[in-house]
Amino acid sequence: MFSRILLAELLKIRRKWIVALAIIGPLGVVLLQAVNYGLRYDYLMDQYAGDPWEGLLGQVFWLKMPALFIGLALVASMSAGVEHSAGGWKQLLALPVTRLQVFAGKVAVTLLLLLFSCTLLLVFTFIFGLVLGLEVSSTPWAELFKQSYLAYLALLPFIALQSWLSLTMSNQAVPMTVGILGMVLSLISIALPDWTPWAWAYQVVEPGMGLTIAGAGTATGLLVILIGYAHFARKDAS
Amino acid sequence: MNKLLPTEWIKLRRSIIWLLLPISPLLAALSGWSPLDIGKEPLQAWQEALAVGATVHGLFFLPLLTGICAALICRYEHAAGGWKQLAALPVRRSSVYLAKMTVLAALLALLQLLYGAAMLVGGMLKGAPIDAIPWEMIGMLVGYGWLASLPLAALQLWVSTAWQSFAAPLAVNVVFTLPNMLVTNSEDIAPWYPWAQPLLAMMPQDRYDVGAFTVSVETLFIVVAGSFVVFLGAGWTSFLRRAV
Repeated sequence: MFSRILLAELLKIRRKWIVALAIIGPLGVVLLQAVNYGLRYDYLMDQYAGDPWEGLLGQVFWLKMPALFIGLALVASMSAGVEHSAGGWKQLLALPVTRLQVFAGKVAVTLLLLLFSCTLLLVFTFIFGLVLGLEVSSTPWAELFKQSYLAYLALLPFIALQSWLSLTMSNQAVPMTVGILGMVLSLISIALPDWTPWAWAYQVVEPGMGLTIAGAGTATGLLVILIGYAHFARKDAS
Repeated sequence: MNKLLPTEWIKLRRSIIWLLLPISPLLAALSGWSPLDIGKEPLQAWQEALAVGATVHGLFFLPLLTGICAALICRYEHAAGGWKQLAALPVRRSSVYLAKMTVLAALLALLQLLYGAAMLVGGMLKGAPIDAIPWEMIGMLVGYGWLASLPLAALQLWVSTAWQSFAAPLAVNVVFTLPNMLVTNSEDIAPWYPWAQPLLAMMPQDRYDVGAFTVSVETLFIVVAGSFVVFLGAGWTSFLRRAV
């Protein structure tokens, strides 16, 4: 049953530029890094002479986190927007599917798209490293996977929050503004206390912190998804 | 035109926008003033706070909120067949488009005023001496930021009227706003980049002598005025030819 719901959701987002966005995001991050390295190749290579891979990973991470923060809000908003326009909710909820299945289907699509996006960025980063002429044998795979997938888990609370807001509010200006707020807060998260989820996302690459933060992110994310579902289940179909 | 503006006001009056606009000014004032020590040089403290505030408000919030406001004032027309209704009324299409542009510019002016007010209140709460408030500098930066956001507003209004979807114009806006993090380092590109212009215009002069922040105000505003005319003209003509 769930696979059919997922297929229906994937069908709905076809030709809506949502999948394209999940590709443009990581591509854009690496292309911007290509411009960054192109403009000041000597400076950057000199600065990271000891470990050029680590330098590249740091540069990519610093650009990809804000991109992910706003990207996840956009993806959540766009996949919910399909139903908000043209009375989709009434039709969808009249079908013989439970609200849990509808909600889970929507959240799952957003989660999968972002996982896809993170995987693409991992691949693109590796390819860009090769283009820069870095050694394949010294690729820091552990770090690369950590900043791709543990960071994804650290972002789960935000994916859950944006899905919840986007699915329950018909005016998408609100979830989008919350998304922008999240991105800006994450950028100034150095000034925020360590226990705030905005700060987690950046601490995930610090030594020894990765698994703790990924665990906290997953737990908080699940909690927010449950609250969101409780709200969605009681809401009028409008 | 003077009948269209009150109708636009009615459409906006009870909307959520009034809750969304103060978020960025409040956050900017908070991050600008909270880590700051007034010390013996109040003017320097104001400059520092305004520089941090401009970064928080101008780097992402202002360009992205411009896109959100543009999409929002087109939302009710897209959603409920409003364009058809407007086109059937005895008003010219040009007036409809210009009314939307005026409303968008007014919303951004309000956003800037809120930013200025929040920075002022932040400074007073922090105990900056009242007689040392640099009114002229604050007014100028707020106004410059508003003017520099107008080309982007015209561009986003064009995209928002052309596309039915609410999120698609925002997606375009986000894709072009994120490079701001790098673009503002480049003296050659940033003045030409509509998404970076508001931040450049709002940065107190001589505060940061790096990257594009050294570009002179005159250069910036020649580009701003030129691109505003181009984007408004393009959006306007495409709106005139568009099927409703």
